[in-house]
Parts: sequence; structure tokens; C-alpha cells
Amino acid sequence: MGLIYLAALLVSLTGMVVLDRRFRLYFWADARRAAVVSVVGVVFFVVWDLFGIGLGIFFRGETAFMTGLQVAPELPLEELFFLALLVYVTMNLYGAFGRLLVPAVSKRGVGA
Amino acid sequence: MTYWTLNAFFLAAVALVALAAVVKARSARTAADPRRSDNGLRWSAVGLSAIALLITTAVFDNVMIGIGLVAYNPDLISGAFVGIAPLEDFAYAIAAVVLLPSLWYLLPARGTGPSTGTGPSTGSGPSTGTGRSIGSGTAGVPRASTDSGTAGGPRA
Repeated sequence: MGLIYLAALLVSLTGMVVLDRRFRLYFWADARRAAVVSVVGVVFFVVWDLFGIGLGIFFRGETAFMTGLQVAPELPLEELFFLALLVYVTMNLYGAFGRLLVPAVSKRGVGA
Repeated sequence: MTYWTLNAFFLAAVALVALAAVVKARSARTAADPRRSDNGLRWSAVGLSAIALLITTAVFDNVMIGIGLVAYNPDLISGAFVGIAPLEDFAYAIAAVVLLPSLWYLLPARGTGPSTGTGPSTGSGPSTGTGRSIGSGTAGVPRASTDSGTAGGPRA
């Protein structure tokens, strides 16, 4: 049971990869840039999380949905995947909307 | 320190990166190739992405809090909620949608000189005519070849 949240995040991330590959939105548009943006983004949000936890603002809930593994006190393993998903969703959206705003190219790139 | 105070520091860092991107975009716009540089950072795409992200954040944050994945110290949050999600949580979505496209724009594009600051898929794609279409063809995406003839005028 403790794998439900992690599994949901992995399924969601897989969906992002499929969309990225199909429409070449992020890593499939520029893998090197996407790698840098993703690493910087996840690290940034992890640091933000760690400050929030350290200051006692938020903390991990005790549920049966998570593995219970923690990468730092009160920072569940799942949070890393959540933040990666946040980054991936954001950049896929940005890539997709950026293309939709260029109709002539979007028809060729997205269509068929 | 309250959640909003914490957010203020991190949002300030995001604003600095966005400012750097704006400065770069502004200087690029006055440079030799205004059409291409104008493609680099699309605030309209940022805005549309922000709407989508805020809606999904509202939905999933409520689910995550509802099933008890995360909890908050009531003394350190403002008490403004969207459903049961603290308004402060939305700072993550705002930060993501401003910080990440700005970083993307500030980084040099694949396989080109430092002057090509095109967006992730802002009509440039494989068809920028800077040699990228050749590289794209080897990336395992056959559709690249159908796109590569469209180098002209990505701006409608």
C-alpha cells in the first residue's frame, strides 16, 4: 500500500515523457538545456522544502500511501518525484503553449 | 518565520532570474535578428502555463492535503485557503512557471552559437535553419524531417 503515491507520481512522469517525446516539448527539444533546467529546478524546490521543514512550517503526514522512506528528516522520497513532476509539467506546458502561439508551425509539428 | 516570509525569499530569487532573462531578451531584441530573438522568451506562454498550473495545483494540493500526505503548522500560515490548500502553496507553481522558462531562455540553445536564444518549441523546433534540423534527424524522431522544410517565418 505504501507505494500508491510513488506509483502515481511515476505514472504521471511517464505521461510527461510520452508527451515530451511525441511533441518534442522539452528534453526532445533540447536535451542538454532541459537537463540543466530540471536539475536546477528540482534542487531549488528541494532547498525551499528543506527551509519550510526546518522552520516547522510544514511536515510529512503519516499515511499509508507513502513508502515511509525519507531523504532528509520530514522530506519523503516521494517529494523528489513530485518536484520533478512539477518541473516537467511546467516545461511541457510552456513548450506546448509556445508552439500553439505559432500557428503555422504548430499545425505541422502537432498535427497528424 | 511564516510561510509567506519564506516564500518571499525564494520568489525574490525567482524574480532576479526572470529579470536577467528580461534584460537578455531586451538586448537581443535590439540586436541584428529581431524576429528570432523575439521568439526567445514568451511571456504569453508563461501566462497560459500559469493558469493551467494553478488549476492543477488547486486540485492536487487539495487531494494531497485531504489524504494526509502533508500538514501545516497553523500558526505559520496566513489562513487564506483554496479549499483546504494554503494559498502559500501556490507560490511553488508561480515560481516554477517563471523560473524554469527564464532559465531555459538564459541557457544557450543546442548545437548553435550563444546568440540563438530560441524557446523550447516556439516555432523554431528543428526548423531554425541553424543546422539543428540535421541534429534533430538523428534524435530518433522521424517527424523531424517533415518539419525541417519550414525554416521561414515562424512568427505569424
